[in-house]
Amino acid sequence: MQELIDQYFDVGFMADHFDEVLEGFWFTIQLSVVAGVLALIWGLVLAQLRQLPGRGFAPVRFLTVAYIDVFRGVPLLIMILLISGSIPALDFLPEWLRLPQWFGKPDNFWFGVLAITVTYGAYMAEVYRSGIEAVPQGQMEAARSLGMNHRQAMRNVIVPQAVRKVFAPLLNDFIALMKDTTLVSAIALSEVALVGRDLQSQFLNSSGLVLGAIMFLVVTLPLARLVDKLIAREQGRFTRGAPRVEAL
Amino acid sequence: MEISTGGGPMVRLEGIHKRFGKLEVLKGVDLEIKRGEVVCVLGPSGSGKSTLLRCVNLLEPPEQGEIFVEGQDICKGPGSAAGEAGWELDFVRQRVGIVFQQFNLFPHKTALQNVTLAQEKVLGRPAAEAEAKGTALLQRVGLGEKLNEYPERLSGGQQQRVAIARALAMDPQVMLFDEVTSALDPELVKEVLDVLRELAAEGMTMMVVTHEIGFARDVASRIVFMDDGAIVEQGPPAQVLDAPREERTRKFLGLVLEH
Repeated sequence: MQELIDQYFDVGFMADHFDEVLEGFWFTIQLSVVAGVLALIWGLVLAQLRQLPGRGFAPVRFLTVAYIDVFRGVPLLIMILLISGSIPALDFLPEWLRLPQWFGKPDNFWFGVLAITVTYGAYMAEVYRSGIEAVPQGQMEAARSLGMNHRQAMRNVIVPQAVRKVFAPLLNDFIALMKDTTLVSAIALSEVALVGRDLQSQFLNSSGLVLGAIMFLVVTLPLARLVDKLIAREQGRFTRGAPRVEAL
Repeated sequence: MEISTGGGPMVRLEGIHKRFGKLEVLKGVDLEIKRGEVVCVLGPSGSGKSTLLRCVNLLEPPEQGEIFVEGQDICKGPGSAAGEAGWELDFVRQRVGIVFQQFNLFPHKTALQNVTLAQEKVLGRPAAEAEAKGTALLQRVGLGEKLNEYPERLSGGQQQRVAIARALAMDPQVMLFDEVTSALDPELVKEVLDVLRELAAEGMTMMVVTHEIGFARDVASRIVFMDDGAIVEQGPPAQVLDAPREERTRKFLGLVLEH
């Protein structure tokens, strides 16, 4: 029993290495927020490209669907390895793109951001799409009848309602994204998983990794509860009965 | 055939055909609406009256036939892109307002924002001007106290009056009403019909698809009775309602007026 506790829950070990692990976790947070925000934006762009009306935009719609299918189907780890291992070798790119060091972050940070953004953008595009499709047809008709063009109607009427509807599932995706940022440890970024792993192999003690896991839980558990609350509220609004146009 | 005056009829429909898949909903409809006229369209459900109304502002572009608004042909023949883009759409939507059965208010906007949004985005009116106009219109439909309420806090009748104000804010030349009281509780019908009556009295050109026979009798300058995708008969209310010439009209009125 003591052996198990020492292996996983060695409080002294955790205290000794708390700062290192926290630093790794802070890196994880930064990566999650930057990639998360970009994925939210990129996903919304994709979702709107997918909804462009008319025959002229058929190729755009087709390419968008193809993109979403491909990037949802390819493992994030492969995207991370592919991007980080190839972009520095593309000599035709200017150096600031090939080896980005923006905001004092190493190039691998930005490659990680890019891989997560392009992958999670595809997931989020699908979430946005479900929200856009859940807005009743009458909303688009009303907006168009008032003279708005498709873009104005999407921007002022459809998307604001869609985003409200999918806020909870988007947050869910963000939690998943946050956990998946640990995959950038594969390209030697000293985020929390790699820090824990190094401690584990150096001291043959897993308490550092457990500490990292606990730090995740501190952030993800409240977020998960928030998602539940938002979903419950949305359902309450739907069933509790004030006359809502969407309910008709 | 009447000789048109003052720039001709406000709206003219010629040989309108519309089908949804295999179902032919409109089978060649001709209709003229003169400036200031209130045309009430009656008919059993499925007769195509709502579809006809929605053709006028190209929400349902017809497959065949021509629509003229203020003398301008707004659908250049079959297969034209008029349903998607083009000047026709701007032209018609700037002149024709529509109010729907389900109100279709924007639920994330207050009553006032519902009325100002398109004024600002489409007409480019400054916010202050749009708000002044929106406030005046909402007061006019009796909702001066509800400017900052969200639609879900309004009754059906109030929502529908906001929807009417929203359409009026665009200064339309013609207003289309698509069964605007059908989704309302009976006690809320009157407050909406009163707004329509006022509009009619002020000389607004209106096309009203309705099941409210009493309203049609009072307000319509002309009643159009439709069945099976075509106009069966039309004329002044007294004639169509009290002395219908066609068997189908008699049958329909018998069914509606009995209860």
